[in-house]
Amino acid sequence: MKSETKIPFFLINRYLLRGNKWKIVLIVFLMAIAFINLIFVSSLFSGIIKMSNDQIVNAYTGNIMITPENGKDFIEDADEKTEAIAAIDGVKAVSTQLTLPASLQYNNIKGNWSVLAINPDEEKNVTNVSQKMIEGEYLDADDEDGIIIGRQIAGGKDVEMDAFSFKNAQVGQIINLSLNGISKDYIIRGIFYTKFINTDQRAFISKKSLESLIPDVFMDKTNSIIIKTDNKVDERVIIEKIKNIFSANYYSWEDVAGLMTSVTKSFSSINVLLYIVGMLIAAITIFVVVYIDILSKRQQIGILRAIGIKPYLIDSLYVMQTVVYSCFGVLLGAAIYFAIIVPYFNAYPFQLPIGDAKLSINYVELIFRAETIIFVAIAAGLVPTIIITRMKLLDAIWGK
Amino acid sequence: MAKQVLIVIKNISKNYKLGEVKVLALKNVSLNIFKEDFLIITGRNGSGKSTLLRQIGLLDNPDRGEIILNDKNVVKLPESKRAELRLKKLGYIFQDYALMSDLTVLENIMLPAMMLETTKNAKIRANQLVEKVGLKHRKNNLPNQLSGGEQQKVAIARALINNPEILIADEPTANLDTVAAKDIINIFKKLNTIDKHTIVMVTHEKNEESCGSRIVRLMDGKIIK
Repeated sequence: MKSETKIPFFLINRYLLRGNKWKIVLIVFLMAIAFINLIFVSSLFSGIIKMSNDQIVNAYTGNIMITPENGKDFIEDADEKTEAIAAIDGVKAVSTQLTLPASLQYNNIKGNWSVLAINPDEEKNVTNVSQKMIEGEYLDADDEDGIIIGRQIAGGKDVEMDAFSFKNAQVGQIINLSLNGISKDYIIRGIFYTKFINTDQRAFISKKSLESLIPDVFMDKTNSIIIKTDNKVDERVIIEKIKNIFSANYYSWEDVAGLMTSVTKSFSSINVLLYIVGMLIAAITIFVVVYIDILSKRQQIGILRAIGIKPYLIDSLYVMQTVVYSCFGVLLGAAIYFAIIVPYFNAYPFQLPIGDAKLSINYVELIFRAETIIFVAIAAGLVPTIIITRMKLLDAIWGK
Repeated sequence: MAKQVLIVIKNISKNYKLGEVKVLALKNVSLNIFKEDFLIITGRNGSGKSTLLRQIGLLDNPDRGEIILNDKNVVKLPESKRAELRLKKLGYIFQDYALMSDLTVLENIMLPAMMLETTKNAKIRANQLVEKVGLKHRKNNLPNQLSGGEQQKVAIARALINNPEILIADEPTANLDTVAAKDIINIFKKLNTIDKHTIVMVTHEKNEESCGSRIVRLMDGKIIK
């Protein structure tokens, strides 16, 4: 190492030790805020996307949904097939659902919602509906006259689809279900609220109660099988294995996502735009602050030049100084982010119609954005230093 | 025996712009600086003495003319080469000391030497110089904790650290009280007579002119004596 290359390190060390602490703290804090600004929106969008994906998996389809093959209304021998699927390595739980062509009536309000006959014990191992009861209780497997309905069906104040709902139906009240000309009264056992609107517009009855309603018609039949898999397993691998057991239509949760996939793509585009805007704001802010800081040191830069310190060493000194500031800024920003902001939004998530969104951190993006801040800081440090080290020496010394 | 010429200044001119007014600060000034000279440059305010000194110290470039140092015209050299000459050949002492505010006395002095040698050696040499200028007890102080006279001593020690061929001092006593000024002048005298340093000093103090071996008087940008 050439002897002179130690000069920037020596001077940075002394500046940090003896420089104006408040100024250093303010610059580092500003860089921390710029970093948080760059990662916050990205994490929020990632959180919304993750939440919507989780909602589809947990509240709607599980990881895999199987429907009858084209031209058929049912999957026959459902119990046997379910057992075979459950035996596949990586499958955690399986539930069969039978969507009924039924209508519901509460007082004078009548409507067609998705009414699903399920085995409640199987269903609660695949979806989280059983954990999302806001009133009353989940179904028992042998419940013959109970029904649970989603919040969007029950309705009430502040319910998004209140206009098309039962307008504040309560637990314990009666709903009449009509199916193929047969009707039966059901007692509302509970109201669930998954915050996934497609699920909250559903009603569930037990298969046992369906048997008592129309004996034998739907015995051992189903029109959808939903499957919960181990998180580490690729759904496509499981689907391939199921294909070897029986023919049907197979969908991963991503295939079912549909609208959410396009929303996700829109979020990704907005995320890129906001990243560019955030980066520009960070660049300009950091540039202005670093420029003012370095400009205030032009007399010191003039002195360094006058005593024979080479311009490239002075450039290196201030570039390295901004790198140090930006590294500390990124560390402080990350500390604030992980110690304050993330826990806060875990406790008080953003409440969206499709669920509660928390911040989700993509570590690759986090590192990329940290590098962005450091790169911007380098440019912000380099430009004013080059200007000052190339200006007339006497002007620099006199602080002109 | 003829004295060795260290710097030859040939017909240099320098213009300044003060607003819209063009000021001719130096007009065809020629001058030789010899080894072991104690050259005093004097003159009234605005006579061009500090401008001349800045050209000699390579802090500024003349508009015309040549400055020959080590047989080379240094006027057209790139900034990195001029910085190298300032570091190795010239020791510049500013009127307002020009010390680095975040560095201690010792660090200010050793900084130029760190460009050329190890930190350890630079520190050893800086310690010798801090003792020489009588500031051993202040070596860990920051410049703002020193009096004007003490700061100027630090500036002198810093200028000496790389054993320059010429010490250049721009009104080094202008901001000092009489006692401190006398102290500084005595240091310059010793540096010239005992250590055989070549010194070029600008002053407008009559009583300081006598300590030089040669006097150059400027008026309106021209040497008149």
